[in-house]
Amino acid sequence: MIAEYTWLVPFIPMMCFLIIGIIGRKTPEKGGYIAIAGALVSFLIAVAITVEYLGSDAYANGQAIESSIRWFDIGGYTINLGYYVDGLTCVMMLFSSFISTLIFIYSLGYMHDQGERKNRYYAEVSLFLTGMLGLIVSSNFLELFIFWEVMGLCSYLLIGFWSFRHDLGDAASANAASAAKKAFLVTRMGDVCLMGGLFIMLNLFHSLDYASMFESAEAVAAANPGLMTLGLCLIFGGVIGKSAQFPLHDWLPDAMAGPTTVSSLIHAATMVKAGVYLVARAFPLYVQDADVMLFVAIIGGLTAFIAATMALNNMNIKKVLAYSTVSQLGYMILSLGAGGYLWALGYEELGVLGFFAGCFHMVNHAFFKALLFMGSGSVIHGCGTEDMRLMGGLFKKMKITATTMLFGCLSIAGIPIFSGFWSKDLVIDTAMNAFNNGVDGAAIWFLVLWLLAVITAFMTAFYMFRMWFMTFMGEPRENAQHCHGESPKTMTTPLIILAVFALISGLFMFFGLDQMLAFEGEAIDGPEHALELFTNPFTYLTIVLAVLGIGIAYMMYVKKTINPGKFNKEGESWLYKALTMRWWFPDLYNQISWKFGYGVAKGVNYVDRQIVDGTVNGLSSAVVGGGDVMSKVQTGHVQDYSSVVLIGVSALSVLVIITFALLGGM
Amino acid sequence: MIPMEYFLVLAAILFVIGAYGVLTKHNAIVVLMCIELMLNAANINFVTFAAYNYDIAGQAFVIMSISVAAAEVAVGIAILLNAYKLRKTTELDDAQLSTMRW
Repeated sequence: MIAEYTWLVPFIPMMCFLIIGIIGRKTPEKGGYIAIAGALVSFLIAVAITVEYLGSDAYANGQAIESSIRWFDIGGYTINLGYYVDGLTCVMMLFSSFISTLIFIYSLGYMHDQGERKNRYYAEVSLFLTGMLGLIVSSNFLELFIFWEVMGLCSYLLIGFWSFRHDLGDAASANAASAAKKAFLVTRMGDVCLMGGLFIMLNLFHSLDYASMFESAEAVAAANPGLMTLGLCLIFGGVIGKSAQFPLHDWLPDAMAGPTTVSSLIHAATMVKAGVYLVARAFPLYVQDADVMLFVAIIGGLTAFIAATMALNNMNIKKVLAYSTVSQLGYMILSLGAGGYLWALGYEELGVLGFFAGCFHMVNHAFFKALLFMGSGSVIHGCGTEDMRLMGGLFKKMKITATTMLFGCLSIAGIPIFSGFWSKDLVIDTAMNAFNNGVDGAAIWFLVLWLLAVITAFMTAFYMFRMWFMTFMGEPRENAQHCHGESPKTMTTPLIILAVFALISGLFMFFGLDQMLAFEGEAIDGPEHALELFTNPFTYLTIVLAVLGIGIAYMMYVKKTINPGKFNKEGESWLYKALTMRWWFPDLYNQISWKFGYGVAKGVNYVDRQIVDGTVNGLSSAVVGGGDVMSKVQTGHVQDYSSVVLIGVSALSVLVIITFALLGGM
Repeated sequence: MIPMEYFLVLAAILFVIGAYGVLTKHNAIVVLMCIELMLNAANINFVTFAAYNYDIAGQAFVIMSISVAAAEVAVGIAILLNAYKLRKTTELDDAQLSTMRW
């Protein structure tokens, strides 16, 4: 029973973190090999667990293998620690440990010249992987939340890895330390929401264990619909922060200040995937409320669209990829939202399709996004710049990088056979299904979301190939001219492996992935749905749009027959500026944090200083001042004292007499 | 028989005069004399109540009180004498004597 050792999956990277942190300095590559070994062992254990789970009775019955030990009791609540293995867990464990292994191998080449700091890097990425794997195998929401926070910490540390670089200014987009702070604080907004959501859930369910919560979800939702909705919305708030959804998406592009390998890790294997995973994990809870699912879908669709627009004119190779990640995450959330909406209305098969499409896109995206980031890292390694205006014509110098990246671009653009095609079209299909079966206003929303998703597919194809053409085609510009050729083998090998996966991972749905990503025992028929795509006219629409996007990019940036400057009045048009300013989201954040956040802080400061401190200080100064005043009574004149005594005695006598008179005594 | 109130009013007047003197006079000797007035006002009260109530205890108290007062005045005048030797004055609002506080 290897599943009993599921805890080893996050435990091994954690041990690696400790070992690298303590003695990594003395090992070759400052602990790099230890990190790789840890990730690889985790991956192998994950494979063994998956094999066992797929052969078990639990899998055949659509159940999870779950085991917990008691951690602590608070009041009437018991909090457990344990593992929870089902198809989703297995898929997540496999791809995140596998991709992390490749990223760590790639880091050997990419981070080679970082000297002593490599030690810190490898320790932190191991802890990052611990966070992700721990989050995946958790058996309850509190455990998940702990690892969730571990990842938040690691992302902060790694984005700020080059925190000493302040050469470009103080804005978050130009400075690693500011970017790290921004990432940390923005995701913190979501984390606070998530924590609030968990409190509500604990109150509703009296437990945070998946197993017991999922069992009683229906009854609890029926008894407390209002609180349930609030709790689910708050949990989704955590997802908005972590998975960089609108309106908290702006930290992710700035997070590019970190090393490219870290971006790759954050975007493909860990961090942002955790948010999508949380929605998928809490899906049995989410499907209890159709309105929440509609909200989730709207956020996803908007994110996909807005992020894609911002990628259209960005000149930084990594930022284009960052926006594309945000956009693709929007697809996943949209799909889960639409699928959950359908399930909540009772269309179980279509609901499962949405669930599957979202998770499937997450897997595919992990492969091709890791590939694209590592490819861009290879380019940056060769050219020493991230600005695409200084690249060009690199295809001749970096054949492997260019080819593998082309695979990634084709995949994300949704060209048939490549992995992105299958999942993206299923996502768009799900939005269409939700429109067809939705009620009243919701149906209109889903039509809008479907439109946004289709336009996003077009924009994705355009900006990905704009990036590829600007980087690899055309005449070599400034930095490209003194590029020193292809990157070392430790970097190209992972690229080749990932390129293969970007090509074939979409086909997994023909070979069992459809059964693994089942929801409540319901699974879709993968091959059937895959083939159905080709009978759907809308699929051809998206393919045509994608090809059109690629064509326009080709005309603009290779053939130069269309001048992009014509559309934006040479960068002067309102829209172009809006996109460059990222729709003013950074300004909005600044305004909110300065006006609102700083205002609240000032108010709190005022209350603290004036009211809390004021009470204490006022009390003490009243005592001291009163003492000062009263001490003046002590004149030193005996006669003053005796007059006080006399007045007192007289007053007392009068009082006694009046009292007696009133009591009618004597 | 003279009514009791006459004696009591006399005692009250004496007491108030004594108290007024104690509070307002600057000379310590006058203050001591005023204290004697107040004591004697109390003594008159004692005697009065003793006479009207046929209770000998009041007169016994007065004898006691007079002897204690004599002793007290002796001590008081002795202190005054010493103060006079030091300060060459018996004024109560003398700067150094009256700043003997805190």
